[in-house]
Amino acid sequence: MIIQQMILAAKREQKDDGKGWILWGWMLFIVSLLSWANIEFNWYDTAFFWNVFGGAVALYFIYCLGKVFFIRHTDRVKTYTGDLFEKLNSGFFIFLILINFSMNLGVPPSKGFMLLIGLYGFWILIYGTALNFRPSVIAAYITWAIAFAGLFIDKFIHPGNLGDVPKNIADAISLERFQWVMLFHAAAVLCGYIIPGHIANKEFNKINKKGNNIDNV
Amino acid sequence: MFNDLDPILHSQLRLAVMSLLISVKEAEFTFLREKTNATAGNLSVQIQKLKEAGYIDVIKQYKENYPQTICKITPTGVNAFELYVKNLQTYLSIK
Repeated sequence: MIIQQMILAAKREQKDDGKGWILWGWMLFIVSLLSWANIEFNWYDTAFFWNVFGGAVALYFIYCLGKVFFIRHTDRVKTYTGDLFEKLNSGFFIFLILINFSMNLGVPPSKGFMLLIGLYGFWILIYGTALNFRPSVIAAYITWAIAFAGLFIDKFIHPGNLGDVPKNIADAISLERFQWVMLFHAAAVLCGYIIPGHIANKEFNKINKKGNNIDNV
Repeated sequence: MFNDLDPILHSQLRLAVMSLLISVKEAEFTFLREKTNATAGNLSVQIQKLKEAGYIDVIKQYKENYPQTICKITPTGVNAFELYVKNLQTYLSIK
């Protein structure tokens, strides 16, 4: 029984409940679609929903920093996987901020968002490999394929130099391209986070259900 | 052919401690006590023996005014554990 419990504990350590991916995925998905709708129906400024989302993420980031510095850390055991994910998450968010900054400093969103999607893929691949979770590994490649295809949005949506057309038309074309970027982003998030997240959650619940049966014996 | 089993590891509690530590980076004393269901005194003695054999590192420190003991397996400990499991298999594979 003790051995069974130890194996179960190891299995739980090797599984993610997927809730983080689901939450993060749905948030990005909704913001992408809201940004698309925002342009379509002309509600607010183009980046309004991304600014709201950025603010929420910044608050969460400050909360996490506060937790690290001011709240007593209660982890009694450190694992290599846990350590790896901690560092990976830090690296991911630093790189995320860097790409966001670059978009504010002149990198066009049609390229910047594809770099973001590429970063999602990288994160998903490492997670999937470390947890031996095949859906995430497959999702990473799909995400990269979407990012690659997205790099050509400018070539397919009203191809040509925007400098050659009147400003109001150029603005309309830029917005239409941005709408496509948002749709690509939503698709990448759906394939990269939401679907694997729900699969991981289902598997985790299955293991937990089995574990509760063993724990109760 | 039966190979000798390492006497340091061939004890229920010490083996349990090593089994727990081999799968993690480090663990607190309280975690080990909870998982092994051992008394603090007994666990301390066994941890000391593992430490003397060079199988684990024991770090004693203070965390927010409370003493904290952290244990982690050493490369020697990993090798010894692997050899123990290998030698144990010689007893199990005989038909």
